[in-house]
Formats: sequence, structure tokens, C-alpha cells
Amino acid sequence: MGTTASQLQKDLLSEYQELTFLTKQEILLAHKRFSELMAKEERSSPSLRVPMEKILTMPELKSNPFRERICHVFSTSDMKDGSLTFEDFLDLLSAFSDSATLEIKSHYAFRIFDFDDDGTLDCGDLEKLVNCLTGETEDTRLNPEEMRQLITNILEESDIDKDGTVNLSEFQHVISRSPDFVSSFKIVL
Amino acid sequence: MRGPYRGLQDEGPYRGQQDEGPYRRQQDHFPVRDRDPNLPLRNLPLSMQEKRKTRDRRQQQRLSIGCWESWWQSQRIARRRLREQVVRTMCGLQPWRKALHTIEGKFGVGVKAYFTFLRFLLYLNLIHCLVISGLALTPVLLYGKHNFTPGKTPASDLFLLTGFMDRSPVFYGFYSPVPLKVSCLRCCLSSPLLFLLAIASLLTLSIIMVVRRTVIGYKHTWMLGRRYNHHFSYKVFCGWDFCTQVPESAVLQHSLIRNDIKLVLEEERFHQHVSQRTFRQWVQLYFLRGVLNFLVIVLLSASFYLIYFANLFSQRKKPKLSLLVEYLPPITITMVNFLLPHLFRRISGFEDYSLTVQVNITLVRSIILKLACLAIFLYSLLHQPRIRSAQCWENQFGKEMYKLVVFDFLVCCLNAVLVEWPRKLLVERYPSSSFLRALGKPTFLVPFNVLDLVYSQTVTWVGLFYCPMLAHISLLKLLFVFYIKKFVLFRCCEPAQKMFRGSQSSVWFHFTLLLGLLLTVVVLGINANTYPPSSDCGPFADNRTLFNITENCVRILPDFAQKALRFFISEAFALLLIFVEIVFLTSFVSQGRANRRAIEGLKDILVMCSADKRFLVKKHSACLRTLKTSLSEGNGEDARRMEAVDPSEIQPPFTRSTSAPCGDVAFQQGGVAFLTGAKPL
Repeated sequence: MGTTASQLQKDLLSEYQELTFLTKQEILLAHKRFSELMAKEERSSPSLRVPMEKILTMPELKSNPFRERICHVFSTSDMKDGSLTFEDFLDLLSAFSDSATLEIKSHYAFRIFDFDDDGTLDCGDLEKLVNCLTGETEDTRLNPEEMRQLITNILEESDIDKDGTVNLSEFQHVISRSPDFVSSFKIVL
Repeated sequence: MRGPYRGLQDEGPYRGQQDEGPYRRQQDHFPVRDRDPNLPLRNLPLSMQEKRKTRDRRQQQRLSIGCWESWWQSQRIARRRLREQVVRTMCGLQPWRKALHTIEGKFGVGVKAYFTFLRFLLYLNLIHCLVISGLALTPVLLYGKHNFTPGKTPASDLFLLTGFMDRSPVFYGFYSPVPLKVSCLRCCLSSPLLFLLAIASLLTLSIIMVVRRTVIGYKHTWMLGRRYNHHFSYKVFCGWDFCTQVPESAVLQHSLIRNDIKLVLEEERFHQHVSQRTFRQWVQLYFLRGVLNFLVIVLLSASFYLIYFANLFSQRKKPKLSLLVEYLPPITITMVNFLLPHLFRRISGFEDYSLTVQVNITLVRSIILKLACLAIFLYSLLHQPRIRSAQCWENQFGKEMYKLVVFDFLVCCLNAVLVEWPRKLLVERYPSSSFLRALGKPTFLVPFNVLDLVYSQTVTWVGLFYCPMLAHISLLKLLFVFYIKKFVLFRCCEPAQKMFRGSQSSVWFHFTLLLGLLLTVVVLGINANTYPPSSDCGPFADNRTLFNITENCVRILPDFAQKALRFFISEAFALLLIFVEIVFLTSFVSQGRANRRAIEGLKDILVMCSADKRFLVKKHSACLRTLKTSLSEGNGEDARRMEAVDPSEIQPPFTRSTSAPCGDVAFQQGGVAFLTGAKPL
């Protein structure tokens, strides 16, 4: 514990506390877990990126069907390869923490579900989303008829301005009424 | 960062993650991001670098606003942090958090809702215990002369409730009036008054707590229910539980979500099927339903008569098998309550309702059965000559309630050990037997288990006055029930194929609890007004009615206080109260109606704006196309003129007013945010 504390300078630690929803213990734990993903000689450099493949080996993300999307959304990499720096990793944990607000959570949920990154959830996004939920294999998917019926129903409910897609504010409008969302959109180390 | 955003800068709703390129400019389109400087930085959906920049900008602003205000802002931040810390610590103190989490992961939200409900009842009974111990028990133990010495008593006393149990603080007879050695309010305070106060405050508190919890859930489901239904969207957008870590439970969750979606889709198809029924089919169906409902009524009345008869029998005779006869009424009630709901479940299968309606109709019938059984039992109890003529009829009544609670607990234990556990063992041992395979492993039927809880809580409330320590007994009972049910769930049951919805079900649980509470209030009210208290036992020994005590207390009060109290219970005040309530209700109803109309209007505007936007995009691309063709013709002058035409000047055919900033995304977002009542992000 002493070594991790010394690795993270004090002023940096308090800055992270100010900028994220995490407590001091959580930040230190995150630092420890993140360092474990890096090779020994790399640990000294602070702005180093850890490739997505390594991040995905964490047990918290392993069985999550949206794991790759999560990495892409929180990555600040120019290469669009989903690699994370330590600060990106803290952003991720902050959005998924217990005390993050509904607005933050719903914003990031929308971005995770927006598979083609065009700023709206259209039919293609919704179909991919449903497939992620039900399982990707051929026998677990819904059949095309059910899928069509489901997507029509979703758009009927959520697409308030009737433009055929669900945009961010419509999405947040739906989410804000769900009592179960905040408790389920959570990843705790 | 990403390709498609380049073309849609005006719409790009996301944070700019990089400094260079179009994303620098994107921020200019979203000044809303940092509109409120008091919003904590971590509440901004930005990356760490962006947050740092925002902080620097804020600091510059703060320097310019003067020291008093910046001090005030920093104070506000500190207070908010303290509040967050307190809330987090309080959440950490709740019992069984880990167990509930495991249950949720393995068996879904519905089963967890049952256990959360159980925990709520546990809290409720804990409060009951504290109040009863503090207000009723302590004064008598401190100042009274009681001959309560357990000594050597046969174990049968515990069940037959004779001997020392009769004199113990468990029952009403123990709480005889004692002089309190406190000099306040000119000795208006007395132990009977405290007793009455304890019971009345507990009932009031229970009503407030239960109503509050019902209303919280109700707001989520019904008020916006049919009109603004988001069934499917919830399932898809909030379907995945991100806490899931174990691969097996992830697989389970996949299949649960799939089954749930299929079920809802099937339900929708069922509704379509219903709308296609012919007249002849309708007639047949109604005839069938009529017959089945008649059958249900016959079953219900038969069970009521059975209970009445069992009660009569147990009160009349005193043969040798006294323990069995003593417990005959609880046995009958429990057997009826155990068997009939399952029968109702089968019957509702024939009635050709959709699955949800089937579950609900079974529940309604079971609730009627449970509460009406209890009511019949209480009614027949109060008309017994043995009870009416007993030396202390309150004690007798309390004993019956005690028996009901104890027997209910015994049944819960026996059901776990003798029914569920062997059933699971048999199914595992002989997988080839076709009968056992058809029977299958038990599943955890949430509604019926909740009904059991509601029933036992209702008995506790009814018995509270006549057997004050019933709250303590029920507290212990609930503690054990939690562990027994957890055992049954983890060791015997398999996850149900149909998920019971979490948020909706909790409303339902609390509503049935409220029905039980109403029954309690009615029973206690009738008892207090009809039957005078026993003359030589209990706190109200020498009074004609229960309320003599309060009357005596009021008489000691000063003159103006008496007058004020008289006014409060007079008809004039009641009329005034009703009038004020009517005014308030009317204003709320009209406000609600106006809001609904506003919502409809705003929705219309949103639809129109989006149509306008699409029209403009189409027009714009048409312009570009003509521009291209003219360019290819080599007429540069025309092309430049075309470019200068602002697309927003083109009047779409169905715009209501030209001044409305249609097609503006920020406006749309503001509109939806108005609908949701949330701040625009």
C-alpha cells in the first residue's frame, strides 16, 4: 500500500478526488489494479496507454457484453484502438461508481449503446444492442420477426419527435423514469 | 476522433475529447455544458483533461466575482461533500446488503424485491418493539408490583398459554395501571395513557410509512403508466446489470432478458389475437369465465364456513387432545391459505387471460381469501360465549393472535424441511421418473410468499393491542424467516422462467400491506367502541370505555386548551377541513390537467421541429445538387449566388411560425428536458 501511495503524488490524488466520484481508497485501488496490467518497466511513465486487450482481461469487464464499447467510449486515443491511460480508466470507474449521477450515467450509457458513433440510436444500433443483451450466437438471438416488432415498439415509445431514431435527450427522458437504472449501471472494483 | 461526426457538427452531442480539429469547435455548440458554475466538475461528462480546463476557467471567473461569493460557493461544495459522505455511510449500515446482491444476481430483481420487503417489515417491527418497550413496558416494570416469576413451568404452557404465560408481559393483563412518579402536566400522564399512546402512534406511523412507500412506487408506474409507457425501452436500455462478474450469471442474465422480451412480445401478440375473437368465441369465453368465477366463490364461501366451524368447535369442546383442538382454527386457516391459492392459479389458466392478468387475478383472489379468512375468524372469535364471558377477554383474544403467529412460523419451517427440501432431493435422485420430472424443482413464487408476509403482519397489528409483545415475537420470526427463505431459495429452488418485475411489484406488495392495515384499523375500531374493557385486568380496568382515560386527561387541562380541543372535534371544524381539502384537490387536479396539455403541445412541437429539420436537410441537398450541376455547366456566377441562399429562409410548408428556431437541436433538447423536468445537460 505504501508503494502505491508514494507512486501517486498527494496533490494528484486530491485532484482526482475532486474531478471524479471516487474516494481516496478507490483511486488507490484503481491505481494498483491498473499498474498490474502494465509491464514492470513501464509502470513509471504516467501517461502510458494500456491496450484494450489487456483491459478486457479484468474480471469486472470480462463477462460484460459491452466491454469493447466501454473501452472505445472512454479512450482518448487518436488511434481509435480503445486503449486507456490511467486517467481514462479513472473516468470509466467514476461514471460507473455508486455515487455518479443519473445524468452522467445516462450520457455514457447512450454513448456505449451508440455503436456507429453517429450521435443517435437508429435501427442498426438498436438491433446490435438487443443482440448484445440476448447473446450473440445464432440460437440465442431473437428471430427477425420478433426483432422487427421489438424495435418498432421501442421507437414508438421513445422516439418522441418521430424522426426514426432515439437521440440523447429522448434517451435520457426514458432513463430518468426507470427506477432500476442507477443501481444496475455500476462497476465496482 | 470519428468519421461520421465530421459531417454532423451541429448535432454532435458528445464531449470533445481532443483539442485539434472539429472538436474544438464542437464545444462552442454546447455552451450548456458549463452553464451552472456550482455544478461539481465530476458531474460533467468530459475527459479528465477537459475537466481540468473547465476548472481553470471557473477559477478565473471566481476571481472576478468577489470574495464573499467565492467563500459561499466553497462552503456549498464542502456541505455537499459532507452530505454525500453521510448518505454513503448510512447505506453501508443496512443489513444483508451482500446477501441481497447475490440474490439479485442469481434470481433477478423480483425475488430481491421480496427480500427487501421482508427487510422493510423487519424495520417496522423493530420500531414497534422499541416504542412498546419504551412507552408501555418500562413504566410497569419500573413502578409496578408484578408477580411475574417464570420459575418451573411445563413446556406446554408456552403453547397452551396457561399458567405463568397468562400473567407474563406478553399479554394485555400484565399492564395494569401504575402510579407514575413524575410530576408534570398535573399528573395527567398515566401508564394507561402511555399504553394507548404507544398503540395509536404505532398504527399511525405504520400507515404513514406504508402509504409513503406505496406512493413512491405508484408515481413511477401508474401516474405516467399507460399514457407514457416505456415497457420495451426499459427492458432494452436498462436491461443489462453491469455489476455481473461471474460468467455463469452472465449467461443466466442473457437468457432471462431473452425470455422476458419474448414474453412481452407474446403478450402483445395475445392482445392482437383477442381483438380478432368472433362473437361466438366471446360468448363461450364469458360463459366459461362465469362458471369458473362461480366455482371460486363457492370455494371461498366453503372455506369461510370451515373456519367458522373450526373456531366454534375449538371453543366449545375440551377433550383430551387439547393442544390439537386449541390450534384447530390456525391449522384450518393455514391449510386453506396453503391449498386454495394453488387451486386459483390452476383455475386462472383456463380463463384465457394474458399472463400478467392471470398472475394478477390469482393474486386478487388470494388476497381476498387471506384477509377475509382472518376477518371471519376475528368475527366468530368475538361472538364466542367463552371469550365474552372470560375473566379477561382481551387476554383470550391476544392468545388467539399469538397462536396464529406461532403456527404460521411453524408452517414456514415445516414447509421448508418437509416439502421443498425432499422435493428437490427426489427430483435430483430420480431424474428418470416422469412424474417427478413433470413436478420439477420448486420455484420461488414471489406473490404467494409476499401474501404470507402480509398476512402475518396483519395478524401482528391486530394483536398488538391485546398482546403487546407480539411485535417482539414477530421481529424474531421475521429474522428466522429471512434465513429459512434464503436457504430454500439457494438450496432448493431454481431460477424462475418468468421474471417478476421489480419496480411494479413493490407497489403491489405495499398496497396489499395497506389493505391489511385497513382491516386492522377497522377491527380495532369496532372492538374499542363495542366491547367495554374487562373490569379487573389490563390498563383500562375501572373504565367504562377505552377513552375514559383520555377524557380524564383532557379535564385536567387549562380552560382554553379544552375549548380548543372541543372545537377540533366538532362538526364545524370537520366541515372547514373538508372544504379546504376540496379547494386543494381541485387546484391540483386542474394543474395536472394543464400540465398534461402542455406536455402534449410540446410533443407536437418536437415532432414538427424534427419534420422541419428533415425538410431543410432535403432542401439543402437539393440546393447542393443544383449547384453542382450548374458548376459543371461552367456558370460560376450562378453557383456563388446559390451558395449565398440561406437554407433556413426557405419556408417549409407546415411550419406554424417562422420565428420558432425550428431545426435547432438545442431547442429540441430543451423541449425534452422540459418534459422530463431535468436540467439540460
